[in-house]
Amino acid sequence: MSRPSRARIVATIIAKDFRAFARDRLFVFLSVLGLVFYVLIFWLIPATVNESIRLGVVQTDLAEALDRLGEEEDGALDLVHFASRDELAAVIAGDLKAFRTAEGELLLLDPDGDGEKPEGAKRLRLSIGLAFPPDFVARTAGGERSRVELLVDVQAPPELEGAMHSFVRELAFLLAGQEMPITLPEEQTIVLGQDRAGDQVPFRDKMRPLLALFMLLIEGMALASLISSEVVSRTITALLSTPARVSDVMVAKVVSGTILAAGQALLLLLAVGAFTASNWYALVLTVSLGGVLVAGAGMLAGAAGKDFMGTLFLSMVFLMPMVIPAFGALFPGTASPLVMALPSYGLVEVLLGVTSYAEPFSEQLVLLAGTCAWCVGLVGLAVLALGRKVNTL
Amino acid sequence: MRPRNTWRILWKDLWMGPRSGIFLWMLFLPLLITVLIQLVFGSLFEPKPRLAILDGGDSEIRAALLAMEGIETTLLTDRAELERGVEANDWDAGLVLAAGFDAALRAGSKPLLELFVGGESHASSRLVIAVTTIDLVRQVEGRAPPVEVAIERLGDGELLPLDVRLVPLVVIYALLAPGIFLTGLVIVEEKERGTLTALLVAPLDLRDVVLAKWILGTVLATVMALFILVLNGGFGGQASTVTISVVIGAVLCAEFGVVMGLIAADQTQLFAMLKGLGIFIIGPVVFYIFPEWPQWIAMLFPTYWVIDPIWSSAVLGNGLGEVWVDLLIALALGVAGIPVVLLLIKRQLARGAAGAP
Repeated sequence: MSRPSRARIVATIIAKDFRAFARDRLFVFLSVLGLVFYVLIFWLIPATVNESIRLGVVQTDLAEALDRLGEEEDGALDLVHFASRDELAAVIAGDLKAFRTAEGELLLLDPDGDGEKPEGAKRLRLSIGLAFPPDFVARTAGGERSRVELLVDVQAPPELEGAMHSFVRELAFLLAGQEMPITLPEEQTIVLGQDRAGDQVPFRDKMRPLLALFMLLIEGMALASLISSEVVSRTITALLSTPARVSDVMVAKVVSGTILAAGQALLLLLAVGAFTASNWYALVLTVSLGGVLVAGAGMLAGAAGKDFMGTLFLSMVFLMPMVIPAFGALFPGTASPLVMALPSYGLVEVLLGVTSYAEPFSEQLVLLAGTCAWCVGLVGLAVLALGRKVNTL
Repeated sequence: MRPRNTWRILWKDLWMGPRSGIFLWMLFLPLLITVLIQLVFGSLFEPKPRLAILDGGDSEIRAALLAMEGIETTLLTDRAELERGVEANDWDAGLVLAAGFDAALRAGSKPLLELFVGGESHASSRLVIAVTTIDLVRQVEGRAPPVEVAIERLGDGELLPLDVRLVPLVVIYALLAPGIFLTGLVIVEEKERGTLTALLVAPLDLRDVVLAKWILGTVLATVMALFILVLNGGFGGQASTVTISVVIGAVLCAEFGVVMGLIAADQTQLFAMLKGLGIFIIGPVVFYIFPEWPQWIAMLFPTYWVIDPIWSSAVLGNGLGEVWVDLLIALALGVAGIPVVLLLIKRQLARGAAGAP
């Protein structure tokens, strides 16, 4: 009888691993549930970035000027015009509900009344408003001092109250013909970097790497658990009484771990609309590297852990820090050097760059090379640790 | 009953544990839900404007901005660092005040005001920083504004933010997952493996086994719930009351888990029961999310008495004096469940003797 080829042996072990995963029906069920849950959460998160401050205004002779100001400020101000100060106060206090109809008209309804929201109308929540006196422009321009009411919900952020207070004062200064006592640079607003005002990357798009990493990590932990149970039950040594060598077992574990982790992460990215015609190969390559990374970490935890709890603890130690760069990506600003040193940093940056900022893949190669180096290091360590463990059983 | 036996079983469960991924999920999912709620409903969507300041002198504007509530300020000494940071979105904007800025302003010589804006900063943050800075410039100039701004604060402030109102959901899940689900599961797994039946011939009392599972669920649920509370804003200055409330809640949840584990013949039945009873477990949480609903309905759910003292102490900052009635009712429910547990143990012994799982 001829000896089976190495590839066939490895394929047999991989098939056995998949069967072991599939046999745990509850875990399979929870994995699918998790996938659905992540996808659902992604689609529930708003797809747009609200950059504007909604400001209620009571004004007669200033309406046009305010509207023009709202348009000039890159959509920073969303002005809602009210007929009276009392209506504005009632909406901010929650005693009246405000709606904007499809035609752009304001509709006020009593929350306890019978009035129904018209079809297509959008609820407007207001936390701040300005009630100007009817003759504000004329009086201020004539040098008279006016009184403007700033109506604020008690829960409105303090910076908003401060900014609107400042806004009224500056408006009055300008109406009174008092120029700003400063010189502004020729280009009034100096924007550093690509100006994304009105075109911000939605928050949920920045979540894609985080969700993909969660998926990878869960499978990494599952692999650690599987290896640990194989070591404890000595199935792994039983395998060696067959034509399989230690190296075959190692290769099979890395491959099965990578397929399981990367496969699910790719499925998730597909479900959250991350793939485009120009980035698919970059995503497949990056996520596959992510699969190798967590397979290496999972194998290391599984080989080093003495029992289930030990493996769980080590899995957490090896895998949980990998989530940090993905969380960091949600917050604005540069990552700290410590975060940049984590194995998953390159992976997250590439996923973010390719899916959210449409950056060319060629610019991500250095980051990807770093991830490759981590993969080699972790898998190498895992192979050493598991090999030693198997030899001592 | 022998405490030594209970301890041994508990130790085995803690250290050997069920070798399936479920244990991971029990620990991982409450964390994930916390993270997602904080991300979806928390402060990440309403970030405070961030301003870097480079002051060549000793400007009053710098001092006023640093003391201002609502704007995160960072004082820098290097212009290149400011420009680099603003471009990298470390700050929404960077303000450069040259030496002698205030004096030049008062002298009417119109000094240059450099305000750099980051490309990724939100339009609202730009507006807040710009108008606030210009208003401070006017104040330093010393000219009185031709307007009086009267501030009126409206609303009662009773409606807490949604991410706070969702805390009961996260906490009940942290109690439910290890307390009810895991406790029920470890008992069902013992049944499926036939170990509970095997105990009939061992020098062990089934009550020792059940008590060990109950303690296991209580310990894990307590640890998870306290951890989740820390992640969601701490103990509201009432650490001891919160801890007592969580422990009592965990005991009650683990008791539910024991009852379910003893009733269910296998994992499928356990899942079916959880699905069926889910509404009774999660029910009261909805009333925290919608405080305008009639709150007395929430009191009809047993888990209300678990979650309300935790909410009251951890979120509202109430002490033991305000939550003792809730805790007493929770304890009463727990005590009332003990005869049910004993009855189910008796039934289990009878089934084991008859050869059933």
